[in-house]
Amino acid sequence: MRRNGAALQPVRGLLLPLLLSLTAAADPAKAGIFIEPPALAAAVAAGALQPVAERLPAEPSVVALDGPGQAPGQWGGELRTLVSQPKDTRMMVVFGYARLVGYDTNWNLVPDLLAGVDIEQGRIFTLRLRRGHRWSDGAPFTSEDFRFFWDDIVNNKELTPGGPERFLLVDGKPPRFQVVDETTVRYSWEQANPFFLPALAGARPEYIFAPAHTLMRLHPRWRDRAELEQQAKAEGQRNWAAFFNLKSQLYRNDNPELPTLEPWMLTTKPPSSRFIFARNPYYHRVDRNGRQLPYIDSVALTIVGASLIPAKAAAGDADLQARGLGFENYTILKQAEGRGGHHVRLWRTARGSELALYPDLNAEDESWRPLLRDPRFRRALSLAIDRREINQVIYYGLAIEGNDTVLPQSPLFRPEYAEQYARRDLAQANRLLDEIGLTRDGDGIRRMADGRPLEIVIETAGEDPTQIAILQLMTDHWREIGIRLFPKAEQREVLRNRVFAGQAVMSVWFGLENALPTASTPPNELAPTSQQQLNWPKWGQHWETGGRAGTAPDDLAAAELLRLYTTWTTAVSLDEKRDLWHRMLAIRADQMFTIGTVRGVPQPVVVADRLRNVPVEAIYNWEPGAFFGVYHPDTFWFDDGLKEGG
Amino acid sequence: MNKPLPHFVDTSPFDVYETERLTPEQERFYMAPQWRLIWWKFRGHVIAVAAAVALIVFYVSILFSEILAPYGRDTKHTEFIYAPPQSVHLFHQGRFIGPFVYGLKYHLDLETLKRNYTPDRGQVQPLRFFCLGEPYRFWGLVEGRFHLVCPARGGELFLLGTDRLGRDMLSRLIYGARISLTVGLIGIFVSFVLGISIGGVAGYFGGWIDAVVQRIIEILKSLPELPLWMALSAALPVSWSPILVYFGITIILGLLDWPGLARAVRSKLLALREEDFCTAARLMGASPKRIIGRHLLPNFMSHLIASATLSIPSMILGETALSFLGLGLRPPVTSWGVLLTEAQNIEAVALYPWLLLPMVPVILTVLAFNFMGDGLRDAADPYS
Repeated sequence: MRRNGAALQPVRGLLLPLLLSLTAAADPAKAGIFIEPPALAAAVAAGALQPVAERLPAEPSVVALDGPGQAPGQWGGELRTLVSQPKDTRMMVVFGYARLVGYDTNWNLVPDLLAGVDIEQGRIFTLRLRRGHRWSDGAPFTSEDFRFFWDDIVNNKELTPGGPERFLLVDGKPPRFQVVDETTVRYSWEQANPFFLPALAGARPEYIFAPAHTLMRLHPRWRDRAELEQQAKAEGQRNWAAFFNLKSQLYRNDNPELPTLEPWMLTTKPPSSRFIFARNPYYHRVDRNGRQLPYIDSVALTIVGASLIPAKAAAGDADLQARGLGFENYTILKQAEGRGGHHVRLWRTARGSELALYPDLNAEDESWRPLLRDPRFRRALSLAIDRREINQVIYYGLAIEGNDTVLPQSPLFRPEYAEQYARRDLAQANRLLDEIGLTRDGDGIRRMADGRPLEIVIETAGEDPTQIAILQLMTDHWREIGIRLFPKAEQREVLRNRVFAGQAVMSVWFGLENALPTASTPPNELAPTSQQQLNWPKWGQHWETGGRAGTAPDDLAAAELLRLYTTWTTAVSLDEKRDLWHRMLAIRADQMFTIGTVRGVPQPVVVADRLRNVPVEAIYNWEPGAFFGVYHPDTFWFDDGLKEGG
Repeated sequence: MNKPLPHFVDTSPFDVYETERLTPEQERFYMAPQWRLIWWKFRGHVIAVAAAVALIVFYVSILFSEILAPYGRDTKHTEFIYAPPQSVHLFHQGRFIGPFVYGLKYHLDLETLKRNYTPDRGQVQPLRFFCLGEPYRFWGLVEGRFHLVCPARGGELFLLGTDRLGRDMLSRLIYGARISLTVGLIGIFVSFVLGISIGGVAGYFGGWIDAVVQRIIEILKSLPELPLWMALSAALPVSWSPILVYFGITIILGLLDWPGLARAVRSKLLALREEDFCTAARLMGASPKRIIGRHLLPNFMSHLIASATLSIPSMILGETALSFLGLGLRPPVTSWGVLLTEAQNIEAVALYPWLLLPMVPVILTVLAFNFMGDGLRDAADPYS
């Protein structure tokens, strides 16, 4: 084998090939010797399946498995896990985490399905596939699958009336797509596209390919249209496009006839309350002993009510479970340890803040808006919060107190971003409020400029009782600076609509979604770039719609953030990007556009005792991370030294 | 010849007992007004009386919640999260002290992250009665500090344990009663007004009006109750304040409860309107409203009261069910249903069973109303 992995610095415009630490040249996988998984041996013997060496790509991805606590393993077993809704079959795409490029555990982008990516000037991306790579039904995975997606899906007005997704557009213009040869495709833009590779690596990935050999049968370019329409009607669909969309969703993962590149493929036809995923015989990864991954033969996804998941996990009905478990379930799970043959591990969540306050700078109310826009007011609110108490009362002191900013694991982290105005200081908070001219009345509550008592209604989606509990703690903290707080629970949609309309004064949501950025991660969450940002929905909408709706930011600091962000999208050098990130993070910490509380909240993960290669301590995060995906569950294996069901 | 008959007056004293001799008891009985008869009969029904007393105690308690509760509704004790109920002792080391509790020793199990509390035998905390404790605003108006019972100075008193923020469950139950017990009354008032007027009109006029009302009632009755409540309460604007939601819920409960009552009223009226006194009233020119209100309804008011009593519990359960499902009241409003929502997880069952205690007053109230309603129904027709 020549090269089996490459670390990418996607924006620098060059590929940094990095040889993985290949300890022994004598590794069977290096020598091209592969062993047949016993689960497939019968099919191979019967001639129904080619032998493993022919199923693998010419250059399979060899997994090192030399990290701490990792070891190459054995095949076999069924992994049981619980989900709460039928649509969670998509979780297997998240956990499987087979991506064209994906994050490694240091949050660098590395090729996975691809053999490599070449990037020129951050704008020309040449994707090189693995020769001989196959879909789970045995059909070759080639540049034809990319061409089909580009010509027949994205550029088909009936299937994609809105045109290409945002990540494929730079200044509103799509890339030039070229098929170089059978295993090489190229996407070129006129300017750098820093969003392209991260989108491919997402927990919910953007696809730029599709199984052409299967989907051509559903496409009028390759079939008689009338006949196809008839088939669609017979299946109860409006037209062929709806039928095509129903059958072609790789992410939704609900069609057993659709081939996949993930480690496990769906074998149960929905609807069902239990989905079985069998090993993909053509999966492209092997361990250094020449064993094709995944180790585990099948995954059973059982659908149970969300409130039953903690109880069932405690009873040992799951071999690997984090979804549906919250920190408050830890005691129950821990007490059940041993009885169900499992142990509980505490991973960390990686959001910017578990609960962040979003003062609405676009509030309609004429007396609230200037107040919320006054950074001194936001700083005072933050200074008054007793984050220590929140941490002790709700999280036993195991969370990290601080602002809503990047996590210490991120290379962009600096302590001052997390600590500025985050330590409780009532004297300073009161001084700031006095400075603004908010005087206290007889009952100790401050008065607003128009004479109303300073009562902040904080609106929350109310799905999580923990949020209400934290807000109730904050009620007492703020009373000491003469501000009354009223938590108000609403439905998610109502909350959003009220915020978008500027009717809410302050709302509650998680902090930064991606708190583990590198300099090449787009800093769009820091600047007003989306209506979904609850602290400045109208400014975000203005950016999103190109000025057709919303209003332009008229706050100096927010406008500066937007300017830095636009500079970032055109910046080429990594140093420049890093510098821009730091400037944005500093402004954010100083301005307190969102007010964070605690982060790094522990996430209980139930792991069967006989399951190996699951990290003991890790980050449990959606983006980046894909929950378990970044730890590659295809490398997890059952140790038969322990009795089954243990 | 028309000669007047000779006028005769018997001068001997009139003896009312001439034909039949009545004992004083009999006399008292015959002379008594109807309400007194009902009371006498009801008094004989021991369980019903006990239930009535319990209900009176409950309802009086909601007038004085602030005084009865040792702590405020939302007072947090962050050093006593999920503390179990403390038991009240009288004797310490064989010596009589009076009612007291032992202090709590807190210890966090670092292995399971469970908060463990053990009674500290060295810390005797006598309860204080009729004492000054945590300040409150009585009914949100008057400042006060007087409580029926307070913890020892520097001590704590969690007779029913605490919840996830260290709030005293007993105090929350007492405050929750305010909402949960009154939901039923307001709901019943709505359903009474609707039931009597609709049922009255249907019964008095009969004919096509009756037919229409009957069909509407049948349709309403055939709809499953809980989904209907859920649909209606989901239709309440979410932007309403908790108090408005509370009234919305009571009105929804009342709007759906009237058909049974309307039927009872109708059938009674159908019979009564044929009576002579009714014809007499009509001949004298009384309006239908007056005849129904003054002449017909009082004839079976007692029966109505009994049936209302029996339907209050379904209102209380309705509120509890809706709040439990997250469709009724929401924190910070505290009702028994809201309290039970907070116990809706496996932790409450396995680790903190005292969070399920709000069930107890719900059960007690519903049972009490049922027993009292039973007694009232028996007593309502004293001549039988």
